Amino acid sequence: MESIAKQKIVEDLLPQKFGKPGKIWVGILLVFCALGLFAYIRQLTKGLAVTGMRDYVSWGIYISNFVFFVAISLVGSLITAVLRLSDVHWSTPLTRIAEIIAVSAITFASIIIIVDMGRPDRFYNLFIHGRLQSPIIWDVVVITTYFFVSILLLYFPLMPDLAILLKFKEKTGAGLHKLYTFLGSFWKNTNAQIHINEKAVNILSITIIPVAFSIHTVTSWLFATTYRPGWDSTNFGAYFISGAFLVGAGGVIVAMYIFRKAYQLENYITDSHFDKMGKILVLLALLYLYFNVNEFLVPAFKMKKSEEDHLLGLFTGEFAPVFWFAITTAMIIPILILVFKKGRRPLPAFIAGILVVIGSWFKRYLIVTPTLLHPFLPMHDVPASYRHYIPTWEEWSIALGSLAGAMLIITLFARIFPIIPIQETITETEQNETK
Amino acid sequence: MKLNSSIAFAVLLFNFIGLNAFSQAEKNELTISIGYYNNNSQIHYLVAQAKSKIDGRFQQIPNVALSFYITNATIPNLLGKAVTNEKGEALLLIPPSAKNEWNKSAKQSFIVTSSASKQFDEATATLEITKAKIMIDTLPDKNIVATLFELMDSAWVPVKEVDLKVAIKRLGGDLNVNETPTYSTDSLGAVAAEFKREKLPGDANGYLTLIAKLDEHEIYGNITAEKLVPWGVVIKHASNFDKRTLFARRGHSPWWLELLAYSIVLAVWSILIYLIVQIKNIKKLGV
Repeated sequence: MESIAKQKIVEDLLPQKFGKPGKIWVGILLVFCALGLFAYIRQLTKGLAVTGMRDYVSWGIYISNFVFFVAISLVGSLITAVLRLSDVHWSTPLTRIAEIIAVSAITFASIIIIVDMGRPDRFYNLFIHGRLQSPIIWDVVVITTYFFVSILLLYFPLMPDLAILLKFKEKTGAGLHKLYTFLGSFWKNTNAQIHINEKAVNILSITIIPVAFSIHTVTSWLFATTYRPGWDSTNFGAYFISGAFLVGAGGVIVAMYIFRKAYQLENYITDSHFDKMGKILVLLALLYLYFNVNEFLVPAFKMKKSEEDHLLGLFTGEFAPVFWFAITTAMIIPILILVFKKGRRPLPAFIAGILVVIGSWFKRYLIVTPTLLHPFLPMHDVPASYRHYIPTWEEWSIALGSLAGAMLIITLFARIFPIIPIQETITETEQNETK
Repeated sequence: MKLNSSIAFAVLLFNFIGLNAFSQAEKNELTISIGYYNNNSQIHYLVAQAKSKIDGRFQQIPNVALSFYITNATIPNLLGKAVTNEKGEALLLIPPSAKNEWNKSAKQSFIVTSSASKQFDEATATLEITKAKIMIDTLPDKNIVATLFELMDSAWVPVKEVDLKVAIKRLGGDLNVNETPTYSTDSLGAVAAEFKREKLPGDANGYLTLIAKLDEHEIYGNITAEKLVPWGVVIKHASNFDKRTLFARRGHSPWWLELLAYSIVLAVWSILIYLIVQIKNIKKLGV
């Protein structure tokens, strides 16, 4: 490969300083994070009474957010592992985007679960008194494991890029140069290093798939192992995983579009990438729709008396607007957009991705809250506030703050590290040229 | 002035008469019923029930103070006092102090009275019983014989043509020993019943409690006799407490779960540790 072409790739993919829009974007995210932090301090000092959660709805939008974060984190395994192991090379520019989404999402999944605790200072009791029989313990173990797997999967392919970044001290600045030195000064691009690195990435790609499946299956079991209307389902593991892949793929399309626009990466994240990711999204949306039909049609057909209120609440009752909004925006409209070739162009695909992400968040809300408001034993002698759940501004602030925090991690990562793998792009370009 | 005073007095008088009449009209009639119970010739007690017809239907009246007497309603014969519960029932164990009065005759009367209150006039109920007892015994081949006696003068004589229930005492009620729930006593005052409940769980030693009963009999009241028999299946209570189950405490999960969970964790984390070692190896190669 000619060194000029190689040099262009490196220059195109080097991390860039924030322009004015980037600074505004970071500023907005910081404001949301600060608001969330302020609300959390209020919650810490005044207790969970500042939330809309009461005896019946003890899991509100925090847990919805947790399930959403866990779901979106699965994209790391889809793009990096599944496509890599399938010998699909077009996904190479997307692997790092997928992995940083996974890392930031799983970080905030861990944080938000602590936020949901009334006494986070007692968190250590989980380790002292936790029971191996409890799915909560499985979730703690599997989330920790997935976090480390994702970090490693982010780090190994980054090593060659760090060595490249070290050559551009003037551009990157002294501070970042120190960081690159610490993380990757040992990379000399020798055959032995490349061999170990490739082998490690392959091992990680294989390992992350069962771990990723476990993380979301166990999260689904947090619900399915309890006997409640809407949760008492054997379908939950597959239902959750299919939904997770959908929202993850939607998130990647959104991130692809934004990074492509912000860093002028049209030569690397091409229309073809949107076309292919669009097709994957249609497949995943159809799969998730299929699981939704299973999840709701069968109970609705039987309409057991004890589950009637919950189901009718979703179909025609107080949750119907949110329910149909989620089904329509997360699945039906994206399918209708992306099933056509014109719909798989960058902008329509980006819109479809946004719809999937928003619809999927509300879908998680519908999984958590309506069930808690329809217990098998009817509510008796409880205050009116116990019969409904309306999140307070503190909850919204914390939830939005956590979402902003996850986006801030992705944004800062893209500022510090190449969002598209430089060395892999060079290697693949060279391989394509030799063919 | 005089006229005004007269009018005021008249109004007060009418009011007093009217209120008094109204309060009298509010009073309902209290009905008391008494039951005599003799459990296995060990515990003798009386149960009184207070009822009143309110709004066209009988209702059980709680919080009614009742006085229980033996033979007649005089202070020396007072057995005790009790207050009706939410079911309108009051229970009084016949005290040992009534022994002399009890032994005077083969027949015995009990009187229960309630004093007048704001809601009810005073009420009295009387019950007369003939003292009776049931003897229960077993024969070979798991046959049960129960005999009803009544006290006549000072001798116990068999009573014929009275329906006796022969059953097995269980926690929630009585279980028939076979298809027939009740038997009529013969000329010897006896009934015979065949035990046909094979493999019925007994206690820890396999014992069952047989029971012969006379329920709400108008002459004898409620009488029972019990006998323990080793005809049940020995039940050894298998407690899961502190065993390795999915519902046990920390550290007591089933072996299969521990093996599975720790194997998975160990396998996955071994891979991660191996990969961390590979980072070190890459570093070494670059030095």
